[in-house]
Amino acid sequence: MRTRLKLEKQYEDYVIENKEKHYRIAYSYVKNADDALDIVQEAVFKAYVSLNTLKNSEYMKTWFYRILVNSSLDFLRKQKKVVTMDEENIAAFNDCVFDEYENIDLNNALDELPDDCRSIVILRFFEDLKIEEIAQILDENVNTVKTRLYKSLNKLRIEMND
Amino acid sequence: MKNNNKDQLKNDYMNIVIPEELDFAVRKSLMEGKKKMNKQKYLKIIKTTAATAAVIATVFTVSINTSEALALTLSEIPVINKIVRVLTFREYKINEDTYDADIKTPAIEGLENKELESSLNEKYLEENKLLYEQFTSDMESMKANNGGHLGVDSGYVVKTDTDKILSVGRYVVNTVGSSSTTFQYDTIDKENEILITLPSLFKDESYIDVISENIKEQMLELHKIDEYNVYWIEGIEDASMAVFNKISSNQSFYISSDNKLIISFDKYEVAPGYMGVIEFEIPSDILGDVLISDEYIK
Repeated sequence: MRTRLKLEKQYEDYVIENKEKHYRIAYSYVKNADDALDIVQEAVFKAYVSLNTLKNSEYMKTWFYRILVNSSLDFLRKQKKVVTMDEENIAAFNDCVFDEYENIDLNNALDELPDDCRSIVILRFFEDLKIEEIAQILDENVNTVKTRLYKSLNKLRIEMND
Repeated sequence: MKNNNKDQLKNDYMNIVIPEELDFAVRKSLMEGKKKMNKQKYLKIIKTTAATAAVIATVFTVSINTSEALALTLSEIPVINKIVRVLTFREYKINEDTYDADIKTPAIEGLENKELESSLNEKYLEENKLLYEQFTSDMESMKANNGGHLGVDSGYVVKTDTDKILSVGRYVVNTVGSSSTTFQYDTIDKENEILITLPSLFKDESYIDVISENIKEQMLELHKIDEYNVYWIEGIEDASMAVFNKISSNQSFYISSDNKLIISFDKYEVAPGYMGVIEFEIPSDILGDVLISDEYIK
């Protein structure tokens, strides 16, 4: 019982401390503040009630990321039933040029990556996770993650030195 | 293609605006998680109490069904057009730009069993008072921390109102950027003027497994029809993420007007948030063996 309480406390500290990271990850999938908040809340709750599945508290980070990424992907799958047209898309159709948004091409390119590839880019470069950790989160083997990462970067035309 | 690099990409990422509600939303979810875990811890204690309640209710229902003499005497008691109804007793409202509260308290009236009536009404009043106090204190703490959006909407729906059964559902929708919804039901036998609890309907605790298995089958079936129907059970999710295994002995339920048992789950309780509040109708024929009688459910 005591270890359980300790784990709960550790978990609470962890999600509060890292809430902004978690929010950014969710946001990068759903691109909408309300939905991103929803996903973070859902992941925090779901992880709390599944704390017993966390065998070793050292893996809290990868374990939580896995729940968070899955919640985001679940949400996207649900949403894909509805084809949305946001401002950026409308702009693209109208052939508008948004000079002030330097990175719009890149953002769209990132969006066009398949979900699993996008997860890898986000986790590797924005969250500085190790390839091994990403493999655990996405439940893939290390080589698959590596291959997908190189392919994605190629598609994004990003120079990389690692 | 512009000359993009990793740093620029990361810069964009780090510039994602963090909503002011985030901290609050995370703490709220932690609280809900804790509540849920505590519920499970204390399930044992509740179980014993529930069993006692079940015994009392059993004596009553069985005596109606078995003793012809008693049934006769009961039917001879003149019933003077009893009108049992639900009305709004009190409403709390807050309406300040980013803070919204609307809490409606129901009251049941017309029961001759005044003890039952006032215990329910007092419970409703007490819970909503707490809800209101919680909201105002949340609001104050949010105001003190750069502000944010906060809302609570609570009210009730009469799910079933037949000659025999009255099922009242009270809901609470908490909005912090996104929302969470909980539903609680009270079902009253209007003729006998007793409160029907889930355990009181069944002979023993085997109903928990019978109902849980049926719900899991229904979930798998719904998932097969549409893969976007996701539930947190084994077979759809990873075993480690299978949050739902069994209903609690006092799971939210009501009885529909066509005498079916409906089991209800709050948002996030057994499925991702987008699935909302979920209800399952339990086929009466699978309950036959565990039901005490077919008085309410058939």
